Amino acid sequence: MSNQVNNAQGQPPQGMPPKGQPGNGPQMRGPMGGGRGGGPMHARINSEKPKNIRKTLLRLVKVIGRSKYFLLALLLTMSIVTVLDLFGPTLQGRAIDTIRIENGRFVVDFETMKQVLAQMLVLFAVSAAFTYFQSILSAKISQDTVFAMRNDLFAKISHLSIASTDNHRHGDLMSRMTNDVENVSNAVSQSIASLFSSILTFFGALFFMLRCNVIVTLVAFITVPMTLLVSAKLAKLMRRYFVEQQKLLGKINGEVEEMVIGYKTVVAYGKEPETIERFGEISEGLRRTSIRSRVFGSIMGPCMNFLGNLQYVLVAAFGIFFVIRGKMSIGNIQAMLQYSKKFNRPINEIANQYASIMTALAGAERIFEIMDTPDEIDEGRLEVSVKDIQGNIEFDDIRFGYVPEEPVLKGLNLSVKKGQRIAIVGATGSGKTTIVNLLTRFYELDGGKIYVDDMDITELPKKTLRDSIAIVLQDTVLFADTIRANIRYGNPDATEDEIRFAAKTANADTFIERLPDGYDTVLTEGGSNLSQGQRQLLAIARAVIANPQILILDEATSNVDTRTEMHIQQAMLALMKNRTSLIIAHRLSTIRDADKIVVLRDGVIVEEGSHDELLNRKGEYEKLYRNQFAGIAT
Amino acid sequence: MKKLFRFLKPYWFFAVISPLMMMGEVFADLLQPKLMSGIVDNGLQNGDMGYVIRTGALMLVIVLVGGFFGVFCAYTAATAAQSFGRDLRIHAYKKVMSLSIEQTDDFTTGSLVTRMTNDIAMVVEFVEMLLRMCVRAPMVFIGGVIMMLTLDLSFGVVLACALPVLVAMVVFILVKATPLFGVLQKKLDKVNSVVQENVSGARVVKAYGQEDYEIGRFGAVNNELRQTNFRVLKLMALFGPVTSLVMNIAIIAIIYIGGFQISIKNAGMSAGSIMAAITYVTQILMSIMMVSMMFQMVSRAMASAARINEVIDAEPVIEGGTRTEGEGSEAIEFRNVSFRYPGTHGEPVLKNINLTIKKGETLAIIGATGCGKTSLVNLLPRFYDTTEGTVLFDGVDVKEYELSALREKIGYVMQKSELFSDTVANNIRWGNPDAGMDEITEAAETAQAAEFIEGFSEGYDTFIAEKGASLSGGQKQRVSIARAMVRKPSVLILDDSTSALDLVTEGRLQRAIKEKLADTTIIMIAQRIASVKQADRIAVLEEGTILHCGTHEELLQCSATYRDIYDSQMKSGAYMEGGAANE
Repeated sequence: MSNQVNNAQGQPPQGMPPKGQPGNGPQMRGPMGGGRGGGPMHARINSEKPKNIRKTLLRLVKVIGRSKYFLLALLLTMSIVTVLDLFGPTLQGRAIDTIRIENGRFVVDFETMKQVLAQMLVLFAVSAAFTYFQSILSAKISQDTVFAMRNDLFAKISHLSIASTDNHRHGDLMSRMTNDVENVSNAVSQSIASLFSSILTFFGALFFMLRCNVIVTLVAFITVPMTLLVSAKLAKLMRRYFVEQQKLLGKINGEVEEMVIGYKTVVAYGKEPETIERFGEISEGLRRTSIRSRVFGSIMGPCMNFLGNLQYVLVAAFGIFFVIRGKMSIGNIQAMLQYSKKFNRPINEIANQYASIMTALAGAERIFEIMDTPDEIDEGRLEVSVKDIQGNIEFDDIRFGYVPEEPVLKGLNLSVKKGQRIAIVGATGSGKTTIVNLLTRFYELDGGKIYVDDMDITELPKKTLRDSIAIVLQDTVLFADTIRANIRYGNPDATEDEIRFAAKTANADTFIERLPDGYDTVLTEGGSNLSQGQRQLLAIARAVIANPQILILDEATSNVDTRTEMHIQQAMLALMKNRTSLIIAHRLSTIRDADKIVVLRDGVIVEEGSHDELLNRKGEYEKLYRNQFAGIAT
Repeated sequence: MKKLFRFLKPYWFFAVISPLMMMGEVFADLLQPKLMSGIVDNGLQNGDMGYVIRTGALMLVIVLVGGFFGVFCAYTAATAAQSFGRDLRIHAYKKVMSLSIEQTDDFTTGSLVTRMTNDIAMVVEFVEMLLRMCVRAPMVFIGGVIMMLTLDLSFGVVLACALPVLVAMVVFILVKATPLFGVLQKKLDKVNSVVQENVSGARVVKAYGQEDYEIGRFGAVNNELRQTNFRVLKLMALFGPVTSLVMNIAIIAIIYIGGFQISIKNAGMSAGSIMAAITYVTQILMSIMMVSMMFQMVSRAMASAARINEVIDAEPVIEGGTRTEGEGSEAIEFRNVSFRYPGTHGEPVLKNINLTIKKGETLAIIGATGCGKTSLVNLLPRFYDTTEGTVLFDGVDVKEYELSALREKIGYVMQKSELFSDTVANNIRWGNPDAGMDEITEAAETAQAAEFIEGFSEGYDTFIAEKGASLSGGQKQRVSIARAMVRKPSVLILDDSTSALDLVTEGRLQRAIKEKLADTTIIMIAQRIASVKQADRIAVLEEGTILHCGTHEELLQCSATYRDIYDSQMKSGAYMEGGAANE
């Protein structure tokens, strides 16, 4: 769609760097599957840094606040699970404690043991049940959050002005919709929750250990700073190589995609050896980085193991010291050994979650950035019924540029009477499409006024204004829906008869009825199962059913071959009857029959009049006409 | 999969060392519980502090040694797998780059990209996993079982009960969940497609004021996605609690059995043994989970391997000949050419085409969409081969040329201009790697691109974003034309590649091309009469046959179809002729 803007302007708006463009390159490309973890591309790890943590966090809390009851329930079940799990080692220790040595032989108080084991069984069963609840709640919250955020974001995007959507790369909008939202929801449902549980476990384990023996607890703590240090350092290193690896993977994807899509060109220019060589270089880079990232990844385990075992030995040695002095039971040592293991895990976990929370915050920031883009301005307060609009249009000293320094229209004046057919001609970049963009208020004027029936269009509600206009564009936009729904798009209240009538008027009925499912044929995405001409006919039918007072045809037939065009031409004539029509066309036949032709050059109208008048004047139009329509002979 | 393993061969050393290293790591892992149980039994029960410290030190050493083995295993496995990956990637890429157009059509670009990226990544991941885990899981399993049974044979009962239950549950959940993943992907696609439509069709949505309708439509598909996702997650939520419950019950059973043995005065049993057994049973059950996860991965890796193999096994259908030069006439001749896209049936796209184009001639081809214009010109650079008949270039069947020698002589500008993410200058340089800057600017000038390129703040060094997204359609077309011009080709094919230009620019372009490339044969496909009028000859194509071929004037005389087209585009043609003459 943005093509039109580009054409009209020469310098496309996408050329400007969109504000706050995230620099997150190829790993964000393409929609990511939801809930399907464990793919070869680890999508979540990322070294992004949010810009304003506090502000983003506060806003995120508000978003989460929507499911606060579920969140409270989640935290509650999580606390229960954590506490139950903390009792596990105590019970296990108590069970082992029923075994003692008497006269160099092990003896057991089997009855007590059986009792303790029964308690354990109950504890584990209850804990499993709560763990299940916890997972369900977490799923519920994440899905509800994703659902709500996506809906909000979509609604926001729908209400953005065309100027804002043109400013974002479409892929970028898509990736915010999918990846960023998913990252945020993962953070909410998993990271925050697991952080909570980690902290609880840590303090719980600490509490139980202190209850057993303060000094042994302190001894167990010796390894904690080391664990922290090692895991933070290693995690950083790992992340560095991991990010590098992701970048290279993205590069490989990009390279393959580009070369495969442009394969015909690659072949036509015999570029295969060169691309293969470049691909080989990237592959080698990927190999090296991947090996490094794996090696660093594999160091983490043994390191943690070593520190864990060191702690184990320390706790065991000091424990024995106290057992010998009768201050502790063997079961107590057993329990302490288990607890000390338990409080190592949260430390690791916190380091892990930190990264994904940061990623989520960066994602949230990008989402909020869109949410903060102002909606389309609509200050129209005039209460006018669409039916009462006649279709007189007045452009008064219009000034406009997509970029402030480059004005496209420089003081354009034009008045169109109701029912008139106006053709706008001019070279590429003269500002033809811009007029359309302004009349429909896709863009706001920089200066001047546009009146419809003497009403300033900024004072008309946009809905009313746009309901009175129908446009048929060069690139037909059809939706992946039935043909009927696509036609009805012009008027949701249209009856079946009206739809058929519109199709007939647009000359589309013959081909539709020849389709196996007729009006119920579902179009593929972008309508690619229809020919260019058929798509155009549907777009015209859609305009017919909208029954507007004003009609805009923007180079509507330039993509269609001539035979089909004749078909479309008839449909257009039927459509234009009794409506104010603005026609932007390359082709003579549409222009010739216009009531008035205006010639645009450098953002102003240089000539206007009927075809014959303008030809006789031997000015700009005559030159254009000779060049364009009679061939290039002269 | 087997076929792909040949790419592992050069790295067999790493591939063999890696599992051996893993054995070292597993030994260390299996020894630890045994030592710990010694600490409990001999150290704690007897209060032997010295024993605790000695055994503890031994444990730490074992951990270090095991860790060393582990890291070394990771290194060798990664080296083997990643080198394998690199070679496989390059090999597959070379293959893709040698395929004929019809084969890439068959595969579709999207699927080729996935095969080259996701599928290969999947297989590499799998190989690495295989090297590390295939040894680890069975070794931990067997070693763990042995160690446990040496503690006490009766512990075997616990394993015999817990294992099948665990496996059954894991399998049950996975089997249930797998089809849901497919549904999930579909729902996700739907959501993406609605967003895509709305972002790219924003103008139409707004023009018809359908924002709220679209929001409702999105809400519906979004909700479906949520429901499906929730269903999957609900199922997966069973996974954690169920497995940990099985494990915990196994632990209870072990303590129970241990206690029972002690109560009947079994001499071998001790508190330490019970604790060691607990660790072993955990390790064993974990290894089982690992295996079940691996099975899931195996099926995915197999599917990926099969898809990669399809690419690797594909043999290019179009192979070049040996000639590099023709006979000197540089004429192009289509002799009794019929063509049907490979694998299609029914009416051929081209039927018995006979056409000769002299050196330096400009031939225009006009006709409705789908009449075979592009197919016809595709035969010359051998993007496709004829079904019947021959195409001759310079007096020689195109099949006799080396492919690169043939294509070197042709400048082909596609209907959809394909630019690459590189600078403008480099995009033009594609046509001729040896071109100097002056040749590039000259080509750009001829292609009427110089003006807008120089308008960019960075001129020829302006970087063209992905697929030329930062250029307008007309700009892209002109850069592509410059790319063909810089080649100074003997044949220039313009496949409807000026459609986005207004006629003034197109006219200038055509004049400039004629001037610069006077000896070049030009084949030009176009929709507009005005574009083709000046050609030496115009071929009117309809439904795969050339109806007429002649100059504009001749065709106006003798071809009804041409006149039809002409009339539709310029109803007042006669008047205009008069108008022009007046001047």
